[in-house]
Amino acid sequence: MSGPIISLTGVTKHYGSFQALQPTDLDIQSGEFFSLLGPSGCGKTTLLRTIAGFETPSGGVVRIDGADMAGVPPNRRPTNLVFQSYAIFPHLSVAENVGFGLRRSTQSKAEKAAAVEEALGMVGLEGYGPRPTHAMSGGQRQRVALARALILKPKVLLLDEPLSALDKKLREQMQGELRRLQRQVGITFILVTHDQEEALIMSDRIAVMFEGQIAQLATPEALYRQPDTRQVADFIGVMNFLPAQFVDGSAEIAGLGRVDLPDNEDGSGVVGLRPETLQVLYDGADAPARIAEGDVVEVTYYGDMTYYDVRFDGADKPVTISMKNLAGRAVLERGARARVGWDPRALVVFRD
Amino acid sequence: MQDDTRRGLLLVSPPAIYALLMLAAPMAAVLLFSFWSQDFLTIDRTFTTKNYVEAVSDPLYRALLIRSVAIALAVTVVTVALAYPVAYFVSFHVHPSRKSLWIFLITIPFWTSYLIRVFLWKVILGFNGVLNSSLLGLGVINEPLTFILYNQNAVVITLAHAFAPFAILPIFVALERIDRSLLEASQDLGESRFRTFLRVTLPLSVPGLVAAVLIVFIPTIGDYVTPRLVGGPNGLMIANMIQTQFLKLNNAPLGAALAVVAMASVTVISLLFIWLNRRNLRARR
Amino acid sequence: MKGGGLRLYALIYLLFLYAPIILLPLFAFNSSSIIAFPLQGFTTEWFAELTGVEALHGALKNSLFVAVITAVFSTCLGMFAARAGVMHQFPGKGPIMGLIMLPLVLPEVIVAVSLLVVAINVLGIGLSLWTIIAAHTLICMPFSIAILNSAFQNLDASLEEAAVDLGESRWSSFRLVTLPLVMPGIIASTLIAFTISLDEFIIAFFLTGGEPTLPVYIWSLLRFPQRVPVVMALGTLLVAVSILLLTIAEFYRRRGVRRSGQQDHGGFL
Ligand SMILES: Nc1ncnc2c1ncn2[C@@H]1O[C@H](COP(=O)(O)OP(=O)(O)OP(=O)(O)O)[C@@H](O)[C@H]1O
Ligand SMILES: [Mg+2]
Repeated sequence: MSGPIISLTGVTKHYGSFQALQPTDLDIQSGEFFSLLGPSGCGKTTLLRTIAGFETPSGGVVRIDGADMAGVPPNRRPTNLVFQSYAIFPHLSVAENVGFGLRRSTQSKAEKAAAVEEALGMVGLEGYGPRPTHAMSGGQRQRVALARALILKPKVLLLDEPLSALDKKLREQMQGELRRLQRQVGITFILVTHDQEEALIMSDRIAVMFEGQIAQLATPEALYRQPDTRQVADFIGVMNFLPAQFVDGSAEIAGLGRVDLPDNEDGSGVVGLRPETLQVLYDGADAPARIAEGDVVEVTYYGDMTYYDVRFDGADKPVTISMKNLAGRAVLERGARARVGWDPRALVVFRD
Repeated sequence: MQDDTRRGLLLVSPPAIYALLMLAAPMAAVLLFSFWSQDFLTIDRTFTTKNYVEAVSDPLYRALLIRSVAIALAVTVVTVALAYPVAYFVSFHVHPSRKSLWIFLITIPFWTSYLIRVFLWKVILGFNGVLNSSLLGLGVINEPLTFILYNQNAVVITLAHAFAPFAILPIFVALERIDRSLLEASQDLGESRFRTFLRVTLPLSVPGLVAAVLIVFIPTIGDYVTPRLVGGPNGLMIANMIQTQFLKLNNAPLGAALAVVAMASVTVISLLFIWLNRRNLRARR
Repeated sequence: MKGGGLRLYALIYLLFLYAPIILLPLFAFNSSSIIAFPLQGFTTEWFAELTGVEALHGALKNSLFVAVITAVFSTCLGMFAARAGVMHQFPGKGPIMGLIMLPLVLPEVIVAVSLLVVAINVLGIGLSLWTIIAAHTLICMPFSIAILNSAFQNLDASLEEAAVDLGESRWSSFRLVTLPLVMPGIIASTLIAFTISLDEFIIAFFLTGGEPTLPVYIWSLLRFPQRVPVVMALGTLLVAVSILLLTIAEFYRRRGVRRSGQQDHGGFL
């Protein structure tokens, strides 16, 4: 197998005295759907633009397909960028936009036109070529931007929050289409997003960034099940944090009691539990591994799901539990007593 | 240096160098010049403050300077006071799709030949002028009004006309920036329309008012066409004297000193105005 | 009606603004040689007289020369400044832009005097149409920048980057993307600078050498009462040309705003 398509070694970036990127090492494999996920201002765009060549790193090396990119301007890099604002040229038609990058190629006019039509077909815009762009909807503009970048067959396609300007329905539809498109063309996609759900749905691997630094790099499942830090756990989905005392290979967890957790040094720490790993027990439920009791302090009804905040006896803070609203299952009321089943295998330990 | 910074500096340098060479350096030269003296065509380069002494002590120059500042102040007050309601009207009562048409209509006269406009004011305000003959014809007055031409009133009217768009535009822009929901909030909290104007709209348009005041007040001091055409002997201003010194009397150093003094006066008054305004704003907070 | 009183006031104010411009053609076509009411009869005599004046043609040629070159210089320099100001951050930006925009508030006589001193006493090059061009470029530049600023502000900075990303060089990106999009602004700026320069008198009077511009020539005519009707005719033409150019400029400015899909906030400044 060949080396990574993108390889960053010790890449840093500062603006004046502000350090936007801490020293970053990152390898991205060819054909991957890779996401950069993090809150606003954490440096995702900076990292992406450094790969594209719009920002010069203050230090470190960017390699694309093994070649050092120092001094290579964006127009000479085998990458293309889909801008957050789409950057559709307002004075050009759809076809002129999509064919923009072919101006310098040696293809004949007919070949270029065919390439444009093919690219438009790829994004489901057959026949839209002659139209002006200003009348197009957000989703259509998004597709034009995609076609325009893909027509150049880049080794890597960079996407900066491409879906954030779309409404929820359209966003979900485009998420599916992007994934399908990536499989179809086999190009490496690097997606920037601050939407954790989007990153989980779409990516082969995700790098979670905080304050200019990659906090964890993992597959979506590993990221969800085994977050390395509380910060990552908190950012991805919902996580209940419970204080715990570790003694002799077991832990005393507030409200949940003692569980065996070998290979942990003695001392205090925090354990995490996802809401769906706990369940409110109704009569006739299978006997779970462990049971705790407490008061329901808040009920939030979502239609398909109900979220209960339950304060276990002996705990300070309530934990959140998510339950499917199955047929014939009553929703508990606020103030009710609840028996809650949980599984020690779902515990995630955070020791800092 | 960052790419962006370098590129920015590179881009800005042609106009910046032009402004330095054609504006900053020449103004410095005028300053230097004002400390020299001239005897007919020969320039004496020994440092002297005599031009300034003359500029400040000669009663003629002093009178001209004081009058110029007074006229400039009057023009500013009249122009801004007349302009505010128009800016307010266009911003608040004109349909958004027609605002730019109004602004265009307001700016058009400003771009047309200044000289001809001023001359026509002479025609309008004159003894047999348009205004007098119309008013006489309508029987409003029995004999022609004489207080409107060849005096300072005429200068103020004409300059108020010339600088109108300069006053309207900054106020209009400031009014446009006001979030309309603030006004509704104020009325919702029980204030009348008029009180809302006093307590919300007016304070929020202060930046526009300040800009309007400065942009009218400062350039007014430099006009010599209006005073010459409609001002009469008692309506002349300092710029007329600067012109005379440079172009007729060949005493450029004295002219330069007068220019520096005039410029210094308006600058000091403007800074004072800005300072008072700042302090006033801070006192409110 | 809401704002009824204000509307009336605004209309009267407009009348005040337009009074001179409305009167101008009345006197230009009035057969009396005295500029006063009541009007006598209709004549095109004054316009006919214009065609025969040799000095006028010279002045017109001078003015056109000055105005065309000023418009080009001021728009080019304005492009640099507007682009730098809108799209880049650099140290000293405030003071530098302040200096460039300063002529907007500076009394014109100060600009005139400064350049006169430099041309005559410092450089000793004497006065020519070029000294006027230098000064007019200086005072037109802020207006060009104001117009071009809004053109550049309406421009999404990522458009040019997108072109670079798609393989174009920086210069060709500018040519293929930015230039067409700010073109309405460029046209508007050129027309406005041309109009300002064509009508400018205060500075031109100081800096005119042997060759007068049109306003300087008009000034010399104003001293002779019997020539005033001719001035009215000339003024009518001048104002008509100005209004025509401004209307075209406004058309392009609006088109520029519309093309970039922005809300129109009106006005040149
Ligand atoms: N040109 C610049 N000059 C100075 N600081 C900058 C510049 N560009 C970015 N920054 C700073 O660098 C940090 C990272 O910016 P970046 O745009 O990479 O964030 P991001 O993760 O993409 O955020 P968002 O989700 O809001 O787009 C921010 O704090 C930002 O203010
Ligand atoms: Mg970003």
